[in-house]
Amino acid sequence: METVEKQVSIALATIGAVILIVVWLAYSEGRAAVDALTWVSHTHEVVADLEGILADVADARLNAGRFVRTGLQSDLPEYQSSRAQIRGRLSRVRQLTSDNPRQQGRLIPLDQAVAEQLSLQESGISAGSQARPEAALQFLRSDAALESMQAIRKIIADMTAEEKTLLRQREGESEVTRSRASVTLACLGAVVLLLLVLISYILTQDIRTRKWANEALRRSAFEFHDLYDKTPCGYFSLDFQGAFLQINATLLAWLGYRREDIVQILEFRCLLTPESAQRFETVFARFTKQGRIEELSLDMLRKGGSVMPILLTAEAIRDSSGHYISCRSTVSDITERKKSEEHLLKTVKELKRSNDELQQFAYVASHDLQEPLRMVASYTQLLAKRYKGRLDSDADEFIAYAVDGSNRMQGLIQDLLAYSRAGTNAKALHEISSENALKEALTNLRATIEESGAVVTHDPLPAITMDDMQLAQVFQNLVGNAIKYRGAEAPHVHVSAAKNGGNECIFSVRDNGMGIDPQYSERIFILFQRLHGQKEFKGTGIGLAICKKIVERLGGRIWVESQREKGSTFYFAVPERNGE
Amino acid sequence: MMESIRCDAMPIEVLLVEDSPGDVRLTQEAFKDAKVHINLHVASDGARAMAFLNREGEHANAPRPDLVLLDLNLPKKDGREVLQEIKESSTLKSIPVVILTTSSSEADILKSYRLHANCYITKPVGLEGFLTVVKSIDNFWLSVVKLPHEVSS
Repeated sequence: METVEKQVSIALATIGAVILIVVWLAYSEGRAAVDALTWVSHTHEVVADLEGILADVADARLNAGRFVRTGLQSDLPEYQSSRAQIRGRLSRVRQLTSDNPRQQGRLIPLDQAVAEQLSLQESGISAGSQARPEAALQFLRSDAALESMQAIRKIIADMTAEEKTLLRQREGESEVTRSRASVTLACLGAVVLLLLVLISYILTQDIRTRKWANEALRRSAFEFHDLYDKTPCGYFSLDFQGAFLQINATLLAWLGYRREDIVQILEFRCLLTPESAQRFETVFARFTKQGRIEELSLDMLRKGGSVMPILLTAEAIRDSSGHYISCRSTVSDITERKKSEEHLLKTVKELKRSNDELQQFAYVASHDLQEPLRMVASYTQLLAKRYKGRLDSDADEFIAYAVDGSNRMQGLIQDLLAYSRAGTNAKALHEISSENALKEALTNLRATIEESGAVVTHDPLPAITMDDMQLAQVFQNLVGNAIKYRGAEAPHVHVSAAKNGGNECIFSVRDNGMGIDPQYSERIFILFQRLHGQKEFKGTGIGLAICKKIVERLGGRIWVESQREKGSTFYFAVPERNGE
Repeated sequence: MMESIRCDAMPIEVLLVEDSPGDVRLTQEAFKDAKVHINLHVASDGARAMAFLNREGEHANAPRPDLVLLDLNLPKKDGREVLQEIKESSTLKSIPVVILTTSSSEADILKSYRLHANCYITKPVGLEGFLTVVKSIDNFWLSVVKLPHEVSS
């Protein structure tokens, strides 16, 4: 727009300048016309005076001659008046042609010739007065008189011609000037016309551009307003007192109000629960100074009085001197989020409670079951001890089954207790040597190892962050199993470890035992799940379940890769915690 | 329930604080083969045990025990309280107290020793184990160890 204004002002300035030139030209044209008229009348004056001189000289000669012939005194006054006029005319001509040296030059011989002529006439008149007419006529008709008369005629003719030539010249000059001025004027007129056309073009273009821009502005304002109104987020603005200046349709719909119920009528705090209103007061006072509210959690009141939890974010708008004018605020309805958060919290609490209960249950059940079981076991054993062979053979057999059953149940309860404790009473985790943990496990297994003739080897094992007792237990269970479920050859167990991408440490316990059918590779980790009867291998099916529990409590995992008759490799991965 | 088993010369007085009759009987059975004459007194809860020790009411003529076998989980008055009261009493604190309980929890063990228990034994699950433990008590506390002989007031 600025350039358009600039262009138009330049064009207008040019037009002004052109008009000034035109005025000046017209003025000088007028001056030239006046000058031309002056010159014409001047020439006429000079010519008239020159012709007057000639006529007067001729008149004076005529009157002098008449007086000589008649001798009448009455002819003298006319002669005298002609003489007098001649002087006046000569001096006027001198004056009028004072700017023309050529004419001035001609005036000198004219003066002389006129003086000669007049002096001869004077001599003739004085001779006529003395009644000597022949002498008088001699003076008047002398050669000198005739020559001077001719000289006068010639000079006057020259001068008149000069004046007329000058007049023509001047008239020609002013004609040229006039026509040149007309051309200039026409050109200037054309320039002005062009400039006017240019201005009107620029203005038309400008108006068109403005119209288009206005249209675009109107469209974008409409789009913006539509977006403002319908976006799935509440928008509003407040004045410095906290009264509504603006509110969008989404927020209105959430609250159940009409725009006219709120804008310029209500203050924001009126739509809050008393507690939230109080909080908002404090925050708003600070906000008008600091200029920003970030995710303030408030409870708004819908039209019916129901509560809508929201998050409010606002930004202050200030004038150029930094005074608060209004604020732009966004509101998100967090009813659903709050609900799901509460639900989640409740579920977590519930889960934790049920988990604690389960833990407590397992512990209490196994612990409290011990007491009566101990009685059953002790007294059946006492029976067996005191009365074996003293009752009949059936009684011995029955007692034997009772003793065996109670023994196995004791084993199960012991294991259940161990399982429920596994991983729960871990010490604070710190970096330990996994090699030392393996040594501890092998010490505990010394009898088994010696008895079976097993060979247990290992690679250098890393330091990891874990409870050393628990790691030793995992090693003990895995190495113990490897020896227990041996193959045809003497057992050979190898323990190694590898880091996996820097965030996990994977241990492996490889054996040359009987192997596990892959279809059971998940099942063996479940509590009390066994693949063999008591007669083949004693046990309750607790060892791997405990390993799994310990490893998974640390966020790790455990699995097996095996082939029947070839041996198994148990792996467990423990996340690295970097001394956490 | 109070019982007294009188033996011959120089009997050793033992107070068994135990609420389970089965365990009482097993203990009695085990002590049958003891090397020394033992008078085994039984208190079935903590309150009776304190009454026996302090010779209150029907226990006015009760002897001062040379050894107390104390279970921790008891009705009325807990074994831990009984232990604390014995060890805080100037007259009773010299009596050795052996904790004999099913609990093997670290917390119970630590607490008992902090209350100055003289030793802590977890009841073994099997009969043989139990018999062995009682024999060990008999052997160690009633034969090897010299017990203080304080004059009862």
